[in-house]
Amino acid sequence: MSARTITLTVNGETSTLEVPVGMTLHQLLSEGLHHHEVKSGCYIGECGLCTIRLNGRPVNSCLVFAVEADGAVIETSTVETPAPGQLSDLQQAFVDFGAIQCGFCTPGMLVSARALLARKAKPTRAEIVEALAGNYCRCTGYEPIVNAVEAVANGTYRPKPAPAKPYVGGEANRLDGAAKVTGAATFVHDMFLPGMLHGRLLVSPHAKARIKRIDVSKAKAMPGVRAVLTGEDVPYELGLYMEDKDILARGIVHHQGEAVAAVAAETWLQAKLATLAIEVEYEPLDPVLDVHEALADGAPQVHPDLGTYSWMKGVFFPQPGHNVAHHQKIRKGDTAKGMAEADRVFEFRFTNPPVQHVPMETHTAIVTARPDGEVEIITSAQSPFTVRHLFCHTFGLPLHQVRVRIPYVGGGFGGKAGIHLEPLVYCLSRAAGGRPVKLAATREEEFNTLPSRQGLESVIRTGVTKDGRITALEATYLWDAGAFADYGVNVGRAAAYSGAGPYVIPHCKVDSKVVYTNKIHGTAYRGFGHLEVLWGIERNMDLVARGLGMDPVEFRRRNLLRVGETTITGEPFTAGHGRPEECLRLVSEAIGWDAKQDVPQPPAAPGSGRRRAKAVAMLHKAPAMPTYTSCSASLLFNGDGSVNLLVSGVDYGQGTYTALAQIAADELRIPLEKVRVPWDSDTDFTPYDWQTVASRFTVMGGNAVIQAAKECLDQIRAVAGEAFGVAADAIECGDGQVWVKGKPEKKLDYARFVLGYSFPDGHSIGGPVIGRGRYIAHGLTNLDPETGQGLPALNWTYGAHGIEIEVDTDTGHIQVLKLVSAFDAGKVINLQQCRMQVIGGVVQGLGSAIMEKFVFDRGRLVNNTFTDYKVPTAKDVPLEMRQLFVETPHPQGPYGARGVAEHPMISIPGAVGNALANATGVEFFELPLDPETVFLGLKRAAKERA
Amino acid sequence: MSDLRYERPGTVAEATGLLAAGGARILAGGTDLVIALRGGLPCDVLVDIKHIPELGRIVWTPDGGLEIGACVLVQDLAEEPRVREVFPALAEGAEAIGSLQIRYRATVAGNLSNASPCMDTAPPLLVLDGRLRIAGPKGTREAPLADFFLGVRQTALAADELITAVVLPPPPPGLACGFDKIKRTQGHDLALVNSAAAWDPRAGTLRVAIGSCAVRPVLTPALEGVKPGADPAATGERLAQRALEHIRPIDDVRGSAEYRREMSAALCRRLARRLLGAGRAS
Repeated sequence: MSARTITLTVNGETSTLEVPVGMTLHQLLSEGLHHHEVKSGCYIGECGLCTIRLNGRPVNSCLVFAVEADGAVIETSTVETPAPGQLSDLQQAFVDFGAIQCGFCTPGMLVSARALLARKAKPTRAEIVEALAGNYCRCTGYEPIVNAVEAVANGTYRPKPAPAKPYVGGEANRLDGAAKVTGAATFVHDMFLPGMLHGRLLVSPHAKARIKRIDVSKAKAMPGVRAVLTGEDVPYELGLYMEDKDILARGIVHHQGEAVAAVAAETWLQAKLATLAIEVEYEPLDPVLDVHEALADGAPQVHPDLGTYSWMKGVFFPQPGHNVAHHQKIRKGDTAKGMAEADRVFEFRFTNPPVQHVPMETHTAIVTARPDGEVEIITSAQSPFTVRHLFCHTFGLPLHQVRVRIPYVGGGFGGKAGIHLEPLVYCLSRAAGGRPVKLAATREEEFNTLPSRQGLESVIRTGVTKDGRITALEATYLWDAGAFADYGVNVGRAAAYSGAGPYVIPHCKVDSKVVYTNKIHGTAYRGFGHLEVLWGIERNMDLVARGLGMDPVEFRRRNLLRVGETTITGEPFTAGHGRPEECLRLVSEAIGWDAKQDVPQPPAAPGSGRRRAKAVAMLHKAPAMPTYTSCSASLLFNGDGSVNLLVSGVDYGQGTYTALAQIAADELRIPLEKVRVPWDSDTDFTPYDWQTVASRFTVMGGNAVIQAAKECLDQIRAVAGEAFGVAADAIECGDGQVWVKGKPEKKLDYARFVLGYSFPDGHSIGGPVIGRGRYIAHGLTNLDPETGQGLPALNWTYGAHGIEIEVDTDTGHIQVLKLVSAFDAGKVINLQQCRMQVIGGVVQGLGSAIMEKFVFDRGRLVNNTFTDYKVPTAKDVPLEMRQLFVETPHPQGPYGARGVAEHPMISIPGAVGNALANATGVEFFELPLDPETVFLGLKRAAKERA
Repeated sequence: MSDLRYERPGTVAEATGLLAAGGARILAGGTDLVIALRGGLPCDVLVDIKHIPELGRIVWTPDGGLEIGACVLVQDLAEEPRVREVFPALAEGAEAIGSLQIRYRATVAGNLSNASPCMDTAPPLLVLDGRLRIAGPKGTREAPLADFFLGVRQTALAADELITAVVLPPPPPGLACGFDKIKRTQGHDLALVNSAAAWDPRAGTLRVAIGSCAVRPVLTPALEGVKPGADPAATGERLAQRALEHIRPIDDVRGSAEYRREMSAALCRRLARRLLGAGRAS
């Protein structure tokens, strides 16, 4: 191999080394020189994760050959850190402003920010946005990052004061801030194990085909290749709710992008070359690409053997022979009667395209099939225990022989829930003699092989009285599940029981069908099912209100759920459910909604300049999870009175560990800085949790932490009581100390008791203090198969968005001027983390609203890279965002808290769509509302009027 | 790529010598080349031209013309005050490319050599009568940019030739020019349509070039008789009609032919408004 000797200076250290000519600077830095702070995410210069400074200027290191850097001075984010344990002003500002969530984009973002500050002393906000817009971030919504850089640039930044007690309700910084701004946080993407091999996939070019012949002999003979697998080598089915997925395609490929073979080799390149040497002969078959096609009589079946699969019985109802993975019915009252009572009946149809989560860290797993039969899995996933459970179920292994470890995770958004690459990587390791194998999905595979969000077609029929009362609602939801519906079935279920919005519907009928097609499969995506159905429901509310000549805010107000009414599954709405009407009031007021002025403007011709308008949209969601979902927490005291809080929920940026630490500190009555939450969740060491999904973890984990803390205090009191010679209940705890009630003059530190107490004569009592806490959802029931009636929801969170947009009718482009969101969070545990969740979710929702979509050409995904799948950048965010919280305590929530992590994304499309209708006088029914859709929609409407 | 060689010539002659040996690719910014090589583009030797001093310069000729060395970064060009003043269309086109990280590597000559129909520097250079200075084994030639693009990723550059500079003639007195672009998002994105226009008020000519609407950027014949005081709206309409007669957009993943046609017209109207409206564009 051709190589060159180069000399370069990286972060002040000069070295001379030999590099292959084809090696990129990114490879040299991250793999060769172990600068793991240099991430990567696309390898085509779009995402900016690999940004470094090359002779002072920010560049994508994936697009520079290492040989080009001969003589260059290179700086990564590491130069920011003044000394171990210290942060630069910029790093501290990132932490203080909440500019970090998962942390995967943070190093590149810091490099871009520093490069700007180095070349421009006082940049304008627009210049800061320009400098950061080349770095994608999927979590933060950019605004906090821009704010942090701006504060440092204009000299107004002052470090935030230390958090004060009580911590719950405060604004403590996230615990992992320093780890993420210094690059200390290690993601699976960054990890290398001794002897590790690299895996690569070969995927199907066809949407549906029979594999007539597959020949791996050439691939096996190639240099460095240690294992080659095809579907026949791995005869296992995978799934959480519905076991319908092969590890590698067997016999038939079900969608373009499905993995048909995999290779493990000494290097990534060797593995890639070997996949190219695999010969596959396909017989293309007619794919089913559309839900209506799939439901037609005699349609080809995506899964002819559906009836023989395993699924969660009593909860899901597949229809073999009909391409239906699940049919969720909701039947409340009698919709025929309700429609008869209506003065007007409206019917509208809405669509959502399939989209992708786009986590900055792609799915990555390292698996070792140990020679003693045990298995070690390190994976970028959302739940160690669900990965372990499904893994062991698939391979028939005892749970305790498999260890699943999840370090820092670079974004998940639901896409890393359940199980994905781990079983395949295990099979590769096993086939390669037990050497560890790492498989990191390329960005193309992330789009094409890993799951997406399902497409949806909604038809909503609404009966209303003249004075604006909904009498009946019928909704049909057809989900384009793609080729596998493991998680899709639960999306279809959850969306059905939320499928009429947060409104009183006396007579309701929902049919939610999860339909197999030969496309990329869907899975959970932040607020799963809800963004999709509420796009239709919230557009429908405006359309119906306008049809009645009524103010849409007032129409919503009249129909919102209120105490004494029931949801569409028959759940009584109580005071503890929260106050949706208050959320609506807050956002309407904040955007200055005026029922008289805020009416649809006369229809806009394309090319007639800019128009502005306001709108609102409501939302609700409850965790979608099995009725028996449970969770636990352990508190292990250290000898100095600090404590390790162990949980298996995964904090991939939401801030849940910080919230739990605040709860632990308050409950244990110790300073927050004495609580450590180890970042890896690990089935060998951290206690059981079901899955980090559904905005459930701060609620369920919070309850478990409260219980664990109580246990700790009981243990401390028991020992202290004996030490003081009083009953345990005479002991007071506070500020990390104990004393006898009424005698505060003699206080002893927890440190004296937490490993056991020694009397002066050496006699010792007690022992290490360990608190156990657990929580299980209670009072939930499965839904009745025929009527959908039951109690599916641990806690509902209600919210609303108010929006003002400007649309350019010359181009169809929408600019969000102002976006105000309000949620009844029950109790805001951490205001900063809550606000950051909202900002990030709003911007992610805006991606779904105005730009994101999969584009297929006969089943082939044609936008499987960042060149043509666009996500919001720092330039695409609303000009102003506000976050408001209502605090109506939830009876089961810790301190009354409800989940609020997914919710911000929901109903952003509806808010944008309603405002667009008000601005242009033209109704839109399809997502995304990208410039072309808007412009051509205006053009068509103008033509129809003419 | 395993036998790939890397050469770093110090002179244009050395570079053309290396190219003449065959199997070579010119490496300037590399923002397109690195991706193409990863995708399997054949290449035996990378000829890194960034260390040839004269290729890195922006030179104003005594008569007011501009010579942009092949390795001048698009960001440096976009920031050059006199370029912003004299040829704003070019500065705006350069600034419209990719993200800042891309603009700190990409070069104008590289953008043109890649010959993607959506390159953002081509429309401005076309309406400004740009020429290419090309070095080859037989010496140096100069050719109009308008003759350079043959098709999608096809140019008139021979395998043993190297663009050394992009040359703009001195602007006619009072020249007004501008660039604009339609894309799917406000962040970095390839052009759905891009367009540059140049108005010579003394000659009364207004020209527009449109990118992303044919296999190569389209330079339309100039509108005549566009004198100071011409109605910007009516002129914009004429310019749009002129453009629509010459473009041949297609449907693709980024957008439909219909939308591209509409946006070509919209850009013409917008540019005419800017150039003929309230005086010179910024």
